[in-house]
Amino acid sequence: MRRTGGVLPEGGHDLDPDGIGEMDLGKIAVLVVNGAGRVVRCNAAAAEIFGRTREALLGRSAADWFPDETGQSVVARTLADGVRFEDAASSVSGPSGVRIPVAVSSAPITGPDGLPRGVLASFQDLSGIRQLQQQVLQTEKMAAIGQLAAGVAHEINNPMGFIHANLFQMAEYVSDLRRVSEEVDAMRKAAEAGNAREIAEAAGRLGAVSDELDVDFLLSDLTKAIRESQEGSERIRHIVRDLRDFSRQDTAEHVLADLNQCLDSTANIVWPMMKHLVVLEREYQDLPGVRCYPMQLQQVFMNLLVNAFQAIEEKREVEPESGRIVLRTIHRGDRVVVSVTDSGVGIAPADVDRIFAPFFTTKPVGAGTGLGLSTAYNIVQRHGGSLDVESELGRGATFRLTLPVDGVADA
Amino acid sequence: MRDAPALLIVDDEARILSALRRALRREGYEIVTAETVADALRILDERSVDAILSDHKMPGMSGVRFLEEASRRRPDAARMIITGWTEEIPRAQLEEAGVCALVTKPWDDARLKATLRRALGVTRPGAG
Repeated sequence: MRRTGGVLPEGGHDLDPDGIGEMDLGKIAVLVVNGAGRVVRCNAAAAEIFGRTREALLGRSAADWFPDETGQSVVARTLADGVRFEDAASSVSGPSGVRIPVAVSSAPITGPDGLPRGVLASFQDLSGIRQLQQQVLQTEKMAAIGQLAAGVAHEINNPMGFIHANLFQMAEYVSDLRRVSEEVDAMRKAAEAGNAREIAEAAGRLGAVSDELDVDFLLSDLTKAIRESQEGSERIRHIVRDLRDFSRQDTAEHVLADLNQCLDSTANIVWPMMKHLVVLEREYQDLPGVRCYPMQLQQVFMNLLVNAFQAIEEKREVEPESGRIVLRTIHRGDRVVVSVTDSGVGIAPADVDRIFAPFFTTKPVGAGTGLGLSTAYNIVQRHGGSLDVESELGRGATFRLTLPVDGVADA
Repeated sequence: MRDAPALLIVDDEARILSALRRALRREGYEIVTAETVADALRILDERSVDAILSDHKMPGMSGVRFLEEASRRRPDAARMIITGWTEEIPRAQLEEAGVCALVTKPWDDARLKATLRRALGVTRPGAG
């Protein structure tokens, strides 16, 4: 590491770092960078985030620190063009190379000639906040699953019901077959003894038992019962797999995902709870891969679907007719649009503006956290997209999610 | 010899119908099945049955509502619900539909058989 001995290397002579003091602002980290892009002052909070001593930070080049969403250094841009940043999302390399998410603000320090002579930057460690956001996300997701629990349980209970009954019946079939097998044994023994009369008698009994038990039917129905039970257990396996997939958290990396597929797999989980009340229509266009956190987007889809269903359920209390949910995906240039339209109660005009606000809910206590749509809104924003709603009270609503194809910015 | 008692089973899940048929094979009933409420009502328009065993959660119409409809067509048929979610159905609705037994899914074969025998015992066999 190159250190330039003195505190004021070349280009920094207009900036007097003395008299600024300790710059102790609690958790707010502060750096002063000179015209050569080197750290000339820093406070204890900054040193702590970097996991170094203040002395070790001084003189280091900050010209590539704090990459913005395009990957360019906030320090370098402020120094070069005088651009100001306010709470820009960025990160720093902490102790042992871990990336620490920070919000960074920067302003140019200009000399008497008005030209930039240095940069004043402040930043805050967002790890704690990010963790909290992650927890809220996970909590909201689990709450969404909770709302599905009854439907999912029903969907598992049906195959369980017939598998359970089939097992009983198959046990009975096996004991019937054992009776047949006993008669076969008796006949073989008679054959070994070579007594014609005994053989004839045994054959008669075997015939009688086979007829009584209807062995042909029994064998074919046993095969059928096994096949049906296998199908049932396969169904349960799928439901459990879908649920497990959904409750999983995203990896830190964004990936290219097929949103039609994400939408489908979310719809599969929600479908059991709504299928007796809802007709589901899909109008999908071919979509390019979208750079995103697929589990988070699935959480958004889940929220929109659950809301759509609840709106239909509510309307049914007044008008008992089945509802309709239409899932649409559209590819438009460098954007994709995913929309969920329901034929439910709709949203009162006064509520439309508040609908994405945290803790806003019109649902009864226990039916929602009031965080569903605000979480969805945040997730979509983090993907560089937008979420909006159109509704006619009493007629239904359409939630429309627009995402850039190369979506999410690095956190 | 008296005709075998006729039992109509309604469930939107074909595998459940198949398993119930299997479980009741030796009970000596004439078993008729329907996968939709519409089919079940059509059957009831055409013939009489001694008992009806219906799923509750079905598309279009709930089991209890169906049994209410069914009672208009065949008032003498014993009416039973088979569902995983007995607690979801309000008592008043069950009474209104004249439901005489609730069977939970997954069912216990022996208890199901006993319930059906009892239900069929309280109606006039071959009524309608």
